[in-house]
Amino acid sequence: MNAERASSVFWLAVGLISLYGSSLLGLGTFHEPGSGFLPFLAGCFICLMAIIVFLQSFIRGRAQGKIAALWAGVNWHRPLIISFAILGFILVLENLGFILTSFLLMFVLFKWVEKTSWAKAIFIPGLVLSLTYLVFDVFLKATLPKGFLGF
Amino acid sequence: MDFLANLIAGFSVALQPTNLMFCFLGVFVGTLIGVLPGIGPVGTMAILLPVTYGIAPTTAIIMLAGIYYGAQYGGSTTSILVNIPGEAASVVTCLDGYQMALKGRPGPALGIAAFGSFIAGTFGVIGLQLMAPPLVSVALRFGPPEYFSLMILGFVVLTYLAQKSMTKALLTAGVGILLGTIGLDTMTGMPRFSFNIPELLDGVGLAPLAMGLFGISEILLNVEKKIKQELLTTKVKGLFPNWEDWKRCSLPILRGTVSGFFLGILPGGGAVLASFVAYAVEKRISKHPEQFGKGAIEGVAAPESANNSAAQGAFIPLLTLGIPANVVMAILLGALMIHNITPGPMLVKEHPQLFWGVITSMYVGNIMLLVLNLPLIGLWVQLLRVPYAILFPLILYICLIGAYVINNSVIDVTIMLLFGVVGYLMRKFDYEPAPMVLAYVLTPMLENALRQSLILSGGSFGIFMVRPISAGCLIVAAGLLGSSLLPMIRQKREKIVAEAEEDE
Repeated sequence: MNAERASSVFWLAVGLISLYGSSLLGLGTFHEPGSGFLPFLAGCFICLMAIIVFLQSFIRGRAQGKIAALWAGVNWHRPLIISFAILGFILVLENLGFILTSFLLMFVLFKWVEKTSWAKAIFIPGLVLSLTYLVFDVFLKATLPKGFLGF
Repeated sequence: MDFLANLIAGFSVALQPTNLMFCFLGVFVGTLIGVLPGIGPVGTMAILLPVTYGIAPTTAIIMLAGIYYGAQYGGSTTSILVNIPGEAASVVTCLDGYQMALKGRPGPALGIAAFGSFIAGTFGVIGLQLMAPPLVSVALRFGPPEYFSLMILGFVVLTYLAQKSMTKALLTAGVGILLGTIGLDTMTGMPRFSFNIPELLDGVGLAPLAMGLFGISEILLNVEKKIKQELLTTKVKGLFPNWEDWKRCSLPILRGTVSGFFLGILPGGGAVLASFVAYAVEKRISKHPEQFGKGAIEGVAAPESANNSAAQGAFIPLLTLGIPANVVMAILLGALMIHNITPGPMLVKEHPQLFWGVITSMYVGNIMLLVLNLPLIGLWVQLLRVPYAILFPLILYICLIGAYVINNSVIDVTIMLLFGVVGYLMRKFDYEPAPMVLAYVLTPMLENALRQSLILSGGSFGIFMVRPISAGCLIVAAGLLGSSLLPMIRQKREKIVAEAEEDE
C-alpha cells in the first residue's frame, strides 16, 4: 500500500475514534464547554488534516512509494529486536528485579544485537549496573524493584 | 539601576555552590551530547527530567538550560571534525567547518566556533535581560483570548517552519492536543481517555512521552543503519584564530548574533532556523560567495553565533509569556510545571530568584563552556571514537531506568516504549514529532484559555476578533496558513526544505 495514504488512513481512524470518545464525554455548549469539547475539536482537525494528506498524495504526486520501500536497504530487524527486548524488560522487571533484568537486557543488546565479544558483553553491563546502582539506589534513594531473588 | 540590582540578585543565586555545580553538570552534559551523534538536547533533557524532581526548581532549570545551550557549543565539534552534526543546529557548520579541517585548519574552525558561540551567547543573555522585563509588562495586559490566539499563532508558525509537510505538522499538533487532554479534566473533574488506568488520571507524563518520541525513536532509527565515524586524523592545534580570521569573522558573528537572537524569539524558530538563515545571509552578501562550502571561516562563525544567541532568545517567550518557542522550551515549561511554577508574566514577580538566577547562570555557563570547549578539545575528540554500538545500549538503559524511577511504575516505561515506536514510525512516514510535544505541553493552557474566553463572551467566538492583540495574532496566523497555499510561496518553501535536506 502507498505509504502516504496508509498513514493518512491511520490518522483518520485516530481522529474518528477521538470524535466518538469525546462525544461520550459530553461536548457541553459554547457558553459552557464540556469535557469533550476540546478533544472533539482536535478530532475534527485531525480528520480534516488526514483527508488533506490523503488527497495530496493523489493531487500533488507526493507519493513516497510503497510502505515496504521505507524499510528497503536498512536493518529493519534491529529496531524490531530492540523493541521486543524493551517489552521483555517491562514484563519481567518487577519479578526478576532491577539488577538481573538490566543485566540481561544489556547482555542481549551487546552480545546478540551488536555482536560484541563475550568479555565486553559481560564487563560493560557489569560496570554500568554498578554505576547506576550507586547513583539511583545509594545517592538518589530511588526504590528500584528487588524481584523474587531479593536484589 | 534596576538592571544592576537584578543582575546582582541573579548572580547571588547563580553563584551558589549547588547551582554552580548543576550549571557545570548541565553544560558538560550538553557539550557531551552535542559532541556525540545520535542523541540530541531534547532527548537528553527528557531523559534527565526525572532527575530534576528531587532538586530545587531554580537548580533544575539552570541545569536543563545548560544542556540546551551547551549542546549548541558541542554540536560544532563533530560537524567540523567528523562531518556529522552532533545536533540539528550544527548541520550547516559541516559545510565549511569540515572543509577547513580537511585543509589542515581544524583548530581555527573549532576556535572561531567556540569564540563566536561565546560572544553570541553572552550578547544573547544581555538581550534576554533587557527585553524580558518590558515584555512582561505588556504580557500582564493579556487575558484568556489573547493567550489563546497567541498559542494558535505559535502552532501555525511552528508548522509553517516545519522541515517537512506543513499539513502533516498540523496533523501531529492536533494529535498532541488530543494527548494533552488525557487525564482528569481540571474544570469538571471528569476522567478523559484514561481507560481505567489510575496512572493515566494525571495524564500522560511529559518525561516518558518526550523520552519515547525523541530518545527511543532516535535509537531505533539509528540502529537501522551503520553510523559512519570517520575521525579526522589531522592533529588539532592552533585553536586561536589569527588576525585575518578575526577580520573576516567579526561582522558575520555580529550579524549572526542579532539575527539568531530575534529568530530564537519567534515561535517555532530556534537554533536550527537561525543557523540556516545566518549561513544564507553571509553567503548572499559575501564578496566571495564561491568560497562558501569550500572552507570559508565566515560559514562557521555566522551559524555558530546564530544558533547560540537563538538558544538564549528562545527563553523570552517562555519566561515572559509562558509560551514555549520550540520543543526544548516546551520541556523546560513542563519541568517548571512539575515544580508547580507557572511561567508567564507573573514569574518575575512571584519567583524573581528563579527568573534572574536562571538568566545570570547563563553568563556563568557561557564562561564554563569556553573553558570546556577549548582546552578540553582533546577529550571530546577521544569521545568521538566511542562506537555507537557501545553508546546506544547505554542511552537506552538510562532511558528505561529514568522512566521507571519517575513513579516507580512500569506504566511509564510502557508509555515510553509506545511513543518510542510511534515516534520511529512517524519519522519513517515523514511526520515530525516536535509539533506534537509542543501542542501536548500547551494544551492545558490552551483549553483553559478557550473555555474562559467562551464563558466570558457568553459563548461567542467573536471575542477573539474584537480584542486587538488577539485579532492581530489570528490574522497573522490565517495569513501564514493562506500564504502557504499560494503556489508560488509553497514552491519556494518546498525548495528551501529540499536545499536544507541536500545540505544535510
